[in-house]
Amino acid sequence: MKAYHGKILRIDLTAGKSSVRTVDERYVRKYLGGQGFAVELVYHNMPKGTDALAPENVLAMAGGLFAGFPIPTGGKTAFAAKSPQTGTLVESIMGGVIGAELRHAGYDALEIAGRAEKPSYIFIEDDRAEIEDASDLWGKNTREVPEALKKELGWDVKVACIGVAGEKLVRFACIDCEERQAGRGGLGAVMASKNLKAIAIRGTKDLEPADPTALMELALRYQNVMENAPSFKEDTVYGTGEFLGWINKEKGVFPTRNWQSGVFEEREQIDPYYWATRYVSKNKACFACTKPCGKLFEIKSGKFAGVAIDGLEYETLYSLGGACGNASIESAAKGNEICDVLGMDTISAGVAIGFAMELVQKGILTEEEAGMKLTFENAEDAVPQMLELMGRREGFGDVLADGVKRAAERIGKGADRYAIHTKGMEPPAYDVRGMKGHGLAYMTSTRGACHLRAGFYAPELVGKFWRWEGIDRQSPEGKGAMVATMENFMCVYDSVGLCKFSRGFFLIEKLCEVIEAITGLKFTEDELLRIGERVHNLKGHFNHREGVTRKDWLLPTRVLEDPIPDGPSQGNKITHEQMNKMLDDYMTARGWTADGEPTAEKLRELDIA
Amino acid sequence: MVKMLVPYPDNCTGCRFCEMACSLFHEGKINHADARLQVHKKDVRTDFPSVCTHCVACGEDCCVHACPVEAIKEEDGIVRVDEDECTACGTCVDVCPFGVMRMEETAFKCDLCGGDPTCVKFCPMGAIKYEEPNVEQYEKVKKLMEGE
Repeated sequence: MKAYHGKILRIDLTAGKSSVRTVDERYVRKYLGGQGFAVELVYHNMPKGTDALAPENVLAMAGGLFAGFPIPTGGKTAFAAKSPQTGTLVESIMGGVIGAELRHAGYDALEIAGRAEKPSYIFIEDDRAEIEDASDLWGKNTREVPEALKKELGWDVKVACIGVAGEKLVRFACIDCEERQAGRGGLGAVMASKNLKAIAIRGTKDLEPADPTALMELALRYQNVMENAPSFKEDTVYGTGEFLGWINKEKGVFPTRNWQSGVFEEREQIDPYYWATRYVSKNKACFACTKPCGKLFEIKSGKFAGVAIDGLEYETLYSLGGACGNASIESAAKGNEICDVLGMDTISAGVAIGFAMELVQKGILTEEEAGMKLTFENAEDAVPQMLELMGRREGFGDVLADGVKRAAERIGKGADRYAIHTKGMEPPAYDVRGMKGHGLAYMTSTRGACHLRAGFYAPELVGKFWRWEGIDRQSPEGKGAMVATMENFMCVYDSVGLCKFSRGFFLIEKLCEVIEAITGLKFTEDELLRIGERVHNLKGHFNHREGVTRKDWLLPTRVLEDPIPDGPSQGNKITHEQMNKMLDDYMTARGWTADGEPTAEKLRELDIA
Repeated sequence: MVKMLVPYPDNCTGCRFCEMACSLFHEGKINHADARLQVHKKDVRTDFPSVCTHCVACGEDCCVHACPVEAIKEEDGIVRVDEDECTACGTCVDVCPFGVMRMEETAFKCDLCGGDPTCVKFCPMGAIKYEEPNVEQYEKVKKLMEGE
């Protein structure tokens, strides 16, 4: 078995010690790498019932199977832990180089447990792993930390770190590496709870593919496929927000003003077709991506002058734009920068602000309580101002820093009617009232409302994908089995470390020959999907074990009771009956109980102990 | 016309694919220290490649002149290391203004892949082009490297 080292590095911050566990081909055949490894480590090594911010929580990190090898878009890193936001096992995938660097240091995965006595960082240099004092880094932002560490350790050191939002235990604080984030689920807060400010790695070991000639041929083939794909120009010029206009105007499922509408009439500025030519000075890519959708967005003048970010992604154009009624692209970009440097997930942060704005609109929250004119009309100024407060847990920002579910509980007065989330996770930029299967996917996603655990927006909006044609986005029929299959599909993706934007190029069967060229191991499509199913079941079983059951999966009231009021999806909602039918179908397809627990038989079938 | 690798920092996305492809092509394995070029990521605004200019833009910091045993020679526009002559003293690595002279048992460096550079094939954004030498671009990279 090539490409793997057969070693997992475990660091116990309480004891101040590191140890190495060896793994063999059997382990690889069960979990592949990336998300598979990270999820396995949390599932098996975190004691049942652990609080997400307790020392016993396990923070795991692993580069995908492809990470470090030249496969276009195949450089992803997975982080995982129990989430302080959802109480579930959350994995979050980033395009930063840190997972590949860990492999160059000689480890297939990293597992961090315990809590250091004082602010610390981990420095891994091949066989040496040290826990170092980070007192002088505490309080620094996600740009200052790597700069300081590189100055000390050398510019070739790779750094993943948290910002101030992590330190303040903002429940959706992220982990940053080179302006790329493991954004969702508050893994930055988990890191902070361990007194861990950063992970710095220098790896100098070779990664040896099983068949270098075949790998080079595959790399060239897929490079050509991507470069000549019709979407190449759109992606590289306009980024992930390229289809914003289509989602908004043609489909009417762009959630606006805290999901009060599916159409953002004032979208002109936040559409990349407006801003790409005016503000973008160059393209930015994730590690190992030759089809860059990242953009260096710079503001040179005006009240937001000085902003420079790798963005804005489609999701952020929604969360800091439409969801807050914010028509100013400069304000959204400023907000994006605040989230990045303080280390917060832009999706949850923006949705939380939109939620509070609706509370003000409905008279549940006063501007005095909010400490500012927190209204949709004043979004241009309010969004950046509130983000600064949230990231530092100051003023009303402290309430929103816990996410909409907990904020609604704290505010009371029926605020929960306007809290849009599943499992405590604020949703991404697809109004699922007009996309039934994607609505199911928001419920079944193991990390709460998510567009990427199943990626089901694409099949429903386009009408076909992979094995399916003629998909009706309005129908709940058959969606249970399809969503379950797509979740397995995506678990494979996150385990090999491929970008999900490549899923149209690399359907699962095409991964087999790439995996063989890298590792020498043969897999069939069915075997890979079975691994995906195993990884998903690990997460599902963990979540049920930790007390997150079907009642916590349900869609927010707005999706069930308030139809989309206008636009192409006017009148759409998901009824209680549709929701329950889709959930029942899903549980059946999964072989889980109605309450969302994998059965003993299913676990046995998947060789999960 | 002699063609050379020319770096365009404004086009570099910082993906580092060229480093991996270079290492795989020449060594059959991946190690960024084996790559005959480098991608630098300094901050959100700055990613850029540094490549070997084969004597075009090194000036006084020249490996050919620095080598005490004359193991590095330029011929037909390509600078090569004679591995039999090289004593692995490291002088060339120290002097290289672009940081792309490598050392294991002997020094080794970019040879333009025999006229069909691998890095260029994997750079659809045009951060590394194979074309007529462009001193202005090399100077840009030198400037960006200051302080590293």
